[in-house]
Amino acid sequence: MARHGGSKYSRRGFLQAGAAAGLGVSLAEFLAIEKAQAASNLFAQPKQIAKSMIHITLEGGMASQESFDPKPFAPIEYRGELKSIATKIPGEQFSELLGNTANVADKLTIVRSLTHGEAAHERGQHSMLTGYRPSPALQYPSYGSVVSHEFGPRKNLPAYICIPGEPNPYAGSGYLSSAYGPFSVGDDPARDGFQVRDLSLPGGVDEARFARRKQALDIVNHEFTSATTADSVNAMGTFYERAFDLVNSPAAREAFNIAAEAPEVRDRYGRNQAGQRMLLARRLVEAGARFITLSYGGWDHHQNITGNMRAQLPAFDQAFATLINDLDERGLLAETLVVVTTEFGRTPKINKDGGRDHWAKVFSVALAGGGIKRGAIVGNSGPTASEPEDMPITPEDLATTLYHQLGIAAEKELMAPGDRPIEIVKGGRVVTELLG
Amino acid sequence: MKLGTLFVLMITGSVLADAPAWVKLELYPPRVGLYYRDDYQRVLAVATRADGVTRDVTGEANWNVDEAAAKVFARDEVGVVRVAGDGHAALKCEFAGLSAQLDVEVTGAGVQKPVSYRHDVLPIFMRCGCNTGGCHGASLGKDGFRLSLFGFDPAADYFRITQELPGRRLNLALPQDSLLLTKAINSAPHTGGKRMEPDSVYYQRLRQWIDAGAPNDLAAAPTVTNLAIYPPNAVLEGTGVKQPFIAVAEYSDGSTRDVSNLVVFQSNNPVTADISADGLTTSGARGEAFVMARFDTHTVGSQVLVLPADAMYEPRDEKPANYIDELVVAKLAKLRITPSDRCTDEEFLRRVTLDIVGCLPTVEEHAAFMADQAPEKRAAKIDELLARKEFADIWTMKLAQLLMVRTEQNRVEYKPMFLYFQWLSRRIADGMPLNEIVQELLSASGGSFTTPAVNFYQVEPDPKKIAENVAQAFLGLRIQCAQCHNHPFDRWTMDDYYAFSAFFEQIGRKEGEDYRETIVFNSGAGDSNHPVDGRAVPPKFLGGDAPDLKGRDRRQVAAEWIASAENPYFAPSIANRVWAHFFGIGIIEPVDDIRVSNPASNPELFAELGAKLISYKYDLKALVRDICNSNAYQRSGVANDSNRDDLRNFSHAQPRRIPAETLLDCVCQAAAAPEKFGGLPLGARATQIADGRGGNYFLTTFGRSKRETVCACEAKADPTLSQALHLLNGPTIHEKISQGKQIEKWLDAGKTPPEVIDSIYVACVSRTPTAEERDKLLALLPKENPRPVAELEDIFWAMLNSREFVFNH
Repeated sequence: MARHGGSKYSRRGFLQAGAAAGLGVSLAEFLAIEKAQAASNLFAQPKQIAKSMIHITLEGGMASQESFDPKPFAPIEYRGELKSIATKIPGEQFSELLGNTANVADKLTIVRSLTHGEAAHERGQHSMLTGYRPSPALQYPSYGSVVSHEFGPRKNLPAYICIPGEPNPYAGSGYLSSAYGPFSVGDDPARDGFQVRDLSLPGGVDEARFARRKQALDIVNHEFTSATTADSVNAMGTFYERAFDLVNSPAAREAFNIAAEAPEVRDRYGRNQAGQRMLLARRLVEAGARFITLSYGGWDHHQNITGNMRAQLPAFDQAFATLINDLDERGLLAETLVVVTTEFGRTPKINKDGGRDHWAKVFSVALAGGGIKRGAIVGNSGPTASEPEDMPITPEDLATTLYHQLGIAAEKELMAPGDRPIEIVKGGRVVTELLG
Repeated sequence: MKLGTLFVLMITGSVLADAPAWVKLELYPPRVGLYYRDDYQRVLAVATRADGVTRDVTGEANWNVDEAAAKVFARDEVGVVRVAGDGHAALKCEFAGLSAQLDVEVTGAGVQKPVSYRHDVLPIFMRCGCNTGGCHGASLGKDGFRLSLFGFDPAADYFRITQELPGRRLNLALPQDSLLLTKAINSAPHTGGKRMEPDSVYYQRLRQWIDAGAPNDLAAAPTVTNLAIYPPNAVLEGTGVKQPFIAVAEYSDGSTRDVSNLVVFQSNNPVTADISADGLTTSGARGEAFVMARFDTHTVGSQVLVLPADAMYEPRDEKPANYIDELVVAKLAKLRITPSDRCTDEEFLRRVTLDIVGCLPTVEEHAAFMADQAPEKRAAKIDELLARKEFADIWTMKLAQLLMVRTEQNRVEYKPMFLYFQWLSRRIADGMPLNEIVQELLSASGGSFTTPAVNFYQVEPDPKKIAENVAQAFLGLRIQCAQCHNHPFDRWTMDDYYAFSAFFEQIGRKEGEDYRETIVFNSGAGDSNHPVDGRAVPPKFLGGDAPDLKGRDRRQVAAEWIASAENPYFAPSIANRVWAHFFGIGIIEPVDDIRVSNPASNPELFAELGAKLISYKYDLKALVRDICNSNAYQRSGVANDSNRDDLRNFSHAQPRRIPAETLLDCVCQAAAAPEKFGGLPLGARATQIADGRGGNYFLTTFGRSKRETVCACEAKADPTLSQALHLLNGPTIHEKISQGKQIEKWLDAGKTPPEVIDSIYVACVSRTPTAEERDKLLALLPKENPRPVAELEDIFWAMLNSREFVFNH
């Protein structure tokens, strides 16, 4: 049984206290309440296997039939026009557009039986980014925000980074303080001259001038900050410190500098959005970032699914396979969870426009690293990808499993406004079948 | 026994020789009714001292049950009153020279009450935690057994217990083998563990019910009409002081019942006052708590103050500015908290200017105000600011957040959105009473160009969501929970929810001639159907009556009630929002989550502000004038030993992050470099942006409300890394300084570098630097350069990055 929290004097402690100000209690009361609450919500602290996670989200709802779960033996109106190819997992096939990924399939676990029933984009996105069904009464925090809340930053890097920006409103901090929201890089790493927003000094300001500014800032701040004990003021000070740590840390800043990668490496990932975003994610994880969410493409293919998949999937295929190999070669895969999700799947049958519509009864996600089995297919969507035939896995199960690997107990309660203790994930199970 | 009591009294008397005298003795509940042979009622005695401190004296008081009374009832040593025979008698009590008595009425002394599903069985599920959301109260139900959350659907619960798994959950042949019993005591493996002891009254009751054949008395059994918790408040001195609480339910047949062992007791602040499952409160750290009892659909609470035993209250020698100060100071006196001094004129000027008009005081305004010797200059300043047009901008913006003024794809185009914003801003600028604005809004029918108020029904077209939005925005109530189950922490039931949403079920819509226009009208048809049984629920006001709707537009009727003085929620909740703007925290906080379990920190003040708003005919300015003129608003931020930990009672000023829009306006103003917003002329301010989707990176990053929901939480003031990085490295501060060329202008006007530093301070934080600050900053300037523009710009940059600048204090 365990209890977590920064020490009373840690920065995180201040942040929590900042959040406490909203509840109208003082720091002392807050810490005491927190202590009291910890006693009422005992949970087993799982061992941390994955030190970082890269969450690749494919917005719009990618068809599993055209990617990880082809149906080569189904009639054409179910199967679609794309062929299937063999993978490194004996007897299992991927879409012909996932040739590179098929070659790293022995490092992946594919879940073919994810199911939630939320067939509207925003509801599906909420489910897949928070592990909760959307509720009219409460907005839940995303994976990254929970990780940020539980662990805080590492090696001067923001705990939770979005590439290029928040993919949708559910990637935010939900009922937690926006202090746990993501840091958006704010630019596309595939663009020449890519620059993280506000990370480098503005033109005309060199290191010396920046140092002078900081000196002036310390002088100007002193009178006010020393006269107040307000948590809100302290919390903002904490973020200034983090900003200075980031700006002044060459290693942290360099993590964002994708231009420092060898041209061959950049080519290997692919000089496109998918490739460079995944490469940047790998750089950040290597430098210490805890959680990266990156989005790529638009997958809402109500029309012409074959053409659309041909246009977008190969870049993903190249980048994703490279990411897995690159992490593995660097010895990082064992401690880095890589997760590819989408908000839902697409209808078993091709529609009159040659597309597929929303289908949330069953779809696929791909997992790798961080203690996930190497080379497995879990679940089965039946002959026509209509519904799970074997081992249905819910977003709650998936979330519970991912948090478990990250060293977070899903049953731990976080405090929502109105003093409502809310479990990080409710009603999920650790899907041991996914774990190696 | 009597001698012992006397002895205790004498000791107490001598020890507390200096303590204020006991002045009041009260017995709870106020009267006792016993209705069958085994009925009982626990009675408490609470004494109050002259200084307001209370003590449970049930054990040490002298109770008197005379011979006549003994024929009616008996009282045991812990204060439980039991049936002796039918009749009517008084229970008398004496303590410290004070006396009190209450009536005990016994009817049905010979009646054995049969065990009841509604009265005896259902409450156990809540008391023992069976039907909470984490257990069987969830939609799936733990381990296959589902109960309705907190018992909102007793009939379905009865079905699931008795019919869903026949012979398993209940085994009428072998009652002790019923899963309901074996799981509850964990003799069969139970994920939820042991919920009750085999010898507990709960187990006995369940067993008796099963023995009796598990009868269903839902149709005939009286329902709970009211719940009371006693004592209604407590003021405990020192830590470790105990005060028991009891709960009494009132039923539709007029009877009462001691339900203390069936309610769920909770404290909203266990650090100050923890409460046990049996209702025994123990005082902890100084502060205030609200202990609550929940039973059936009712939640009631009692305020518990805990005071330090040693600290004595020192009242300030200060005249209250108005009713606000009387009420604030009365509460502080109860808590023995001494308020801080009044703030300085400079602090006042910046604070009030930011709050009323969203601007910084200019250098000239600062000089004029500081030179003004008039004793009433603060009041005069408030009046001057209230007359400025920026006051209307601030409140248009704040109401636009509530009214969700924003473009919506395929629903609200830019033109109707802009007309909607203008509609609102004209009314605020004209000083239209707030109730009239809300009535016009909610009853609006017509085209979204010609009657822009109808856009309220376009931004969110779903009738249920509209009802939720109206309740949250204009009544401060969150009824969302009750869509699917009775509100767990408040009185709202699903019936209330569907009856209120019925007002908004008859909204007709059609496209206008221009595709961007929608015509909203009263369709006169449409019902709100209860999901449990599908019946159409007739419209009824929240916590009010079912109105006569014959021949009327339902929305018109709803609008009249919502923004009226008869509605107990409208005026105080709006006044509380106004208050929160000036203090950073509401008297009820969050301002849009008013519920029994989230009580006002100062209920009298909450009520009085609402009453004043009504008496001012809903004139916003009049209320703002009262608030800004109060000492409570004009307190210093410097805390003293007694008020340092107080965040809820307005004893000292709390620094507040300036809202995103105002912050950007202030940066522009200080740097004399206006921002250009889409669709607005150069020089327009961020507070004037019409569209919730509008704005720029700075505004989004600093938490501008997107107006996607009516929640007050959409406008955020939490700090983030992106904010700090943006102020440090982003274009806003850096470029504004070079665009505005303030430093150069000041130097050109002949100011020396120290004078420029003074100007930076006055322009940004309305004060001159201290000698120490000035010296340290001057040391950053190169001595040989009489025109150190870059260095002074850096000091200006630092000032705009400083916490003193971004906070209102």
